[in-house]
Amino acid sequence: MLRRVLSLPAGRIAVAILTVVALLAVLGPVLAPHDPLATSARTLAPGSGTHPLGTDYLGRDVLSRLLAGSRVSVLGSLEVALTALVVGVVPGILSVYLGRAFEWVTLRVVDTLVALPFLLFAVAVIALLGNGITQAMLVTGVLVSPLFYRVSRAATLTVARSQYVEAALIAGASVGWVVRRHVWVKVLPPIAVALAQTIGVGFVIVSSLTFLGIGVQPPEPTWGGLLASDLGYLSYQPWAPVAPALLIMATVWACNLLADAIRDVSGEAGRALVAHRRLRAGRRGRTEPAPTGGAS
Amino acid sequence: MTHPGSAPRADGPEPQDTRRDDPSPARPVLAITGLDVHYGLRRRRRKVLHDVTLSVAPGETVGIVGETGSGKSTLARAVLGLVRASAGTVTVAGEDVTGHSEAKWRRLRRRGTVQYVFQDPLRSLDPDLTVADSLAEPLLLRGVPRGEALARIRPLLERVRLPGELLDRLPGEISGGQRQRVAVARALVTEPELVILDEPVSALDSANRVQVLQILKELRTTGVAIVLISHDLGSVAGIADRIAVLYRGELVETGTARDVIRRPRHPYTRLLVSSAPTLHTAPADRAERAALRAALTT
Repeated sequence: MLRRVLSLPAGRIAVAILTVVALLAVLGPVLAPHDPLATSARTLAPGSGTHPLGTDYLGRDVLSRLLAGSRVSVLGSLEVALTALVVGVVPGILSVYLGRAFEWVTLRVVDTLVALPFLLFAVAVIALLGNGITQAMLVTGVLVSPLFYRVSRAATLTVARSQYVEAALIAGASVGWVVRRHVWVKVLPPIAVALAQTIGVGFVIVSSLTFLGIGVQPPEPTWGGLLASDLGYLSYQPWAPVAPALLIMATVWACNLLADAIRDVSGEAGRALVAHRRLRAGRRGRTEPAPTGGAS
Repeated sequence: MTHPGSAPRADGPEPQDTRRDDPSPARPVLAITGLDVHYGLRRRRRKVLHDVTLSVAPGETVGIVGETGSGKSTLARAVLGLVRASAGTVTVAGEDVTGHSEAKWRRLRRRGTVQYVFQDPLRSLDPDLTVADSLAEPLLLRGVPRGEALARIRPLLERVRLPGELLDRLPGEISGGQRQRVAVARALVTEPELVILDEPVSALDSANRVQVLQILKELRTTGVAIVLISHDLGSVAGIADRIAVLYRGELVETGTARDVIRRPRHPYTRLLVSSAPTLHTAPADRAERAALRAALTT
C-alpha cells in the first residue's frame, strides 16, 4: 500500500511532511538550539541568527519551544488514533463473526458512545484517572472509536457476504483465516483513511486543549500553548503565531492528503493502478532489445 | 453438430457414446435421501426442498436441471453444509454429514473431497489475490507448504488450457472464460471425488462454453463425479449421464440423459425439452408449450 501511495504526488508530499513531523517529535528536543524553558531579557525579539523565530514574552526561544513541543502533539494525536483503532476496529470486525449477542452488545455500546456528551465523559474520566494530556487523549480516542467501529464493520459485512469468502469457507477456511486473508486487506484501506483523518483531528484536538491550557501545565512547551502565548502579544509581534499555526495546519493538511491518497490507491482504483503499472512494465520489456547469447 | 448452448431435441442427434445408461454400482460418492430444507423461521418458514433423493456414483455426471428458484443451488449448498437440512440425510464419500458440527465440516472440507464451482467466477475469486494465490488457497488450508502448492497448481493450468503467465494476474485482468477455467482449476486442486458446478457456462460466450464443457468431459474420464447444475437443459444434456429435474423443490424426474430428453414423463420436463432453443425452433410447438404451461399452473 505504501508503494502505491508514494506513486501519487499527493501521497509523496503527505508522507514527506509527516516524516518531518515525526522526526521533529523524536529529535526535536535534541535539535533545539536553546533550552526551551530558559528565559532571557530579550523578550518579544524578532527573528535573528541566535533566535531564528524570535523570542516570546518571557524571552524564551520560539524555535526551541516549537521543536520541544512537537513530541506532545504527535504523541497525543497518535494516542487518539490508536485508542480509536483498538477500541473500534477489533469489535467492529468481530461483530460480524462472533454471533448475534456480541453484535448486539457492541452496537449498543457504540450507540451509547455516540450519544455521550463529550465534556461530561471527559470530566468523569479525568476525575477518575487524573488531569493530563494522556487521559484527555484517551477520552477523545474512545469517543472517536464509533467511527472506526462502523467503518470496519461495514467493510467486513460487505466482504463476509461475498462469494470468494464462501469459496474459502467451502475450501475449509476458519474465521481467522478468512479475516487474515480476505477481510483484512479489504477493511484496511477505509480504516487507513479514517486513521489518517483521525490523526489530523487528533492534532487539532491536542492543539486546542493545550491552547486552552488543558492537559499540559505551563511552562511545558506545546504547539497550542505557543499559539496561545503569542496571541496575547499580537500588537507587538503580529507574525509570532504564524510558525506554530503553520506547523499545525501543514500537519493536519498532510494527514488529510494522506487519507485522500490512500483512498485513491485502494480497492478498484488500486487494482487498476497495479494493472496499469504491469502493462507499462510489459511495454518497456517489449521495447528493450532482446538479449543475445548467454545461458537460457 | 449440437450447439452447446442448445438442447438436443427428442429427434435430435444421438447423445454421446461415452455416457452410461447404468450408473456404476460402486459406493456412491454422494447419497441424498429424503432431504428437506426450509428457509426462514416460524411464520416466514417456507419449504425450499422436499423429499429429494439422489445418488451420484464415482465418475458419474449428473445434471440437475430446473428453473430459477426451483432449489438447485440450495441442494448444492445443503451438500456443502452451507444450509442445514430439516429432514433426510446427506452422505458424502460414505460419511453421513447431516448432523456435522462446524468443526467437522471444516475438517471434511479441508480434505477437499467435494468442491464447488460458482456461477460467477468474478465474484468467487478474491479480486486482491492473484490467480496463483487463489489456486493455492485450498492446498494452503490443508497445510501444504506454499512452494509445493505453487508447484502443484502449474500442471492444473495446462489441464484447463490456461497459460502459466496468468498466475501472476488478478482476476480482474483476465477474461470471463479464463476466470471460469481458473475457478474449475481451483476446484480440482485438491483432487476431489465430487465437483459440483453451479451454472458453470451460463455467463460464458459460445467459444468459452465449448471449452469449459470439454474440460468437464475430460474430467469425467479421470473418475471424478460431477454434479452439473443448470437451468439450461442443453448445457447439461451433452455431458450428463443422468439428469434430475427439480421443480418447485421436488425432484420430479430422474433418468438417463437419453430417456429424460427423448421420453420426458413429467409435464415440466416436457416443457423444458420443448422450450429448449434450437436453430430450427418449430413455431408449431408453441401450442404444445402453452398447453404444458397451463397443465403445470393448474
